[in-house]
Amino acid sequence: VTFTKKNEKERLQFVDTWAEYVKNHSDREWSQQQNIIINSGLRSASLTKEQFFHMKKEKYNRP
Amino acid sequence: MKFGKSTITIDRRLSDLDYFAIDFTTVLKKHTPYVIVSGYVAILLGRARASEDIDIIIPRLDFSTVQSLLKDVRHHGFYCLNAEGDKEIYEYLTEELPVRFAKIHTIIPNIEVNWSKNKFDDIALEKTIQVHLNKKCLTISHLELQVAFKEIVLRSPKDIEDARHIRKVAEGYLDLKAIRKYKVMLRDFYKEK
Repeated sequence: VTFTKKNEKERLQFVDTWAEYVKNHSDREWSQQQNIIINSGLRSASLTKEQFFHMKKEKYNRP
Repeated sequence: MKFGKSTITIDRRLSDLDYFAIDFTTVLKKHTPYVIVSGYVAILLGRARASEDIDIIIPRLDFSTVQSLLKDVRHHGFYCLNAEGDKEIYEYLTEELPVRFAKIHTIIPNIEVNWSKNKFDDIALEKTIQVHLNKKCLTISHLELQVAFKEIVLRSPKDIEDARHIRKVAEGYLDLKAIRKYKVMLRDFYKEK
């Protein structure tokens, strides 16, 4: 089993585990934990417009 | 999370991304119908991942409606990241290019707005779900199309995981026949292109 395949399998297992958690816990409980990922990701991001559009491979003409 | 026929009620703690989506769509919906699609749909339903943007589809609008929308959007502290004047933004949309909006002095998070480009975008706009978040409301695409699109068209590991999450949390609510039907339609449509 290659590293990529093993990693993919583990990721999918986590998706299943987390989805079960979401189903079996209150919205307040799971969202409090989910928000740690979402908010920290947004607050730590520091991209320029050029970097952002390059990442997205989108048209960007502004100087 | 409670699933109704065309509603989902989530008593969640709102994230920065949720507040951002609510702020923008509160302005947007005064000017046009809209529908949220793709990654943020899965995130709204609990998927454990972050995202820097939210994808929104709107129907084709005339220039004066776009102008009114842009005026209102700017008045509420948003700006367009990839185009400046009203005409330029309108041209982007008519060329079927996305236009992105963020809060002034920021890049992330942002909203990617696209005009409806094909029959699947039209279906997404037509068959919507109202997601009630405490006293706020967001309009998302029905989940069957989102799952099929992610599994057939997008297909990145992130999209496959999003689709799997939606399938699990909405188990018993999803119309599996509709997902299969959309998958056939999507395969045919993108094969022809």
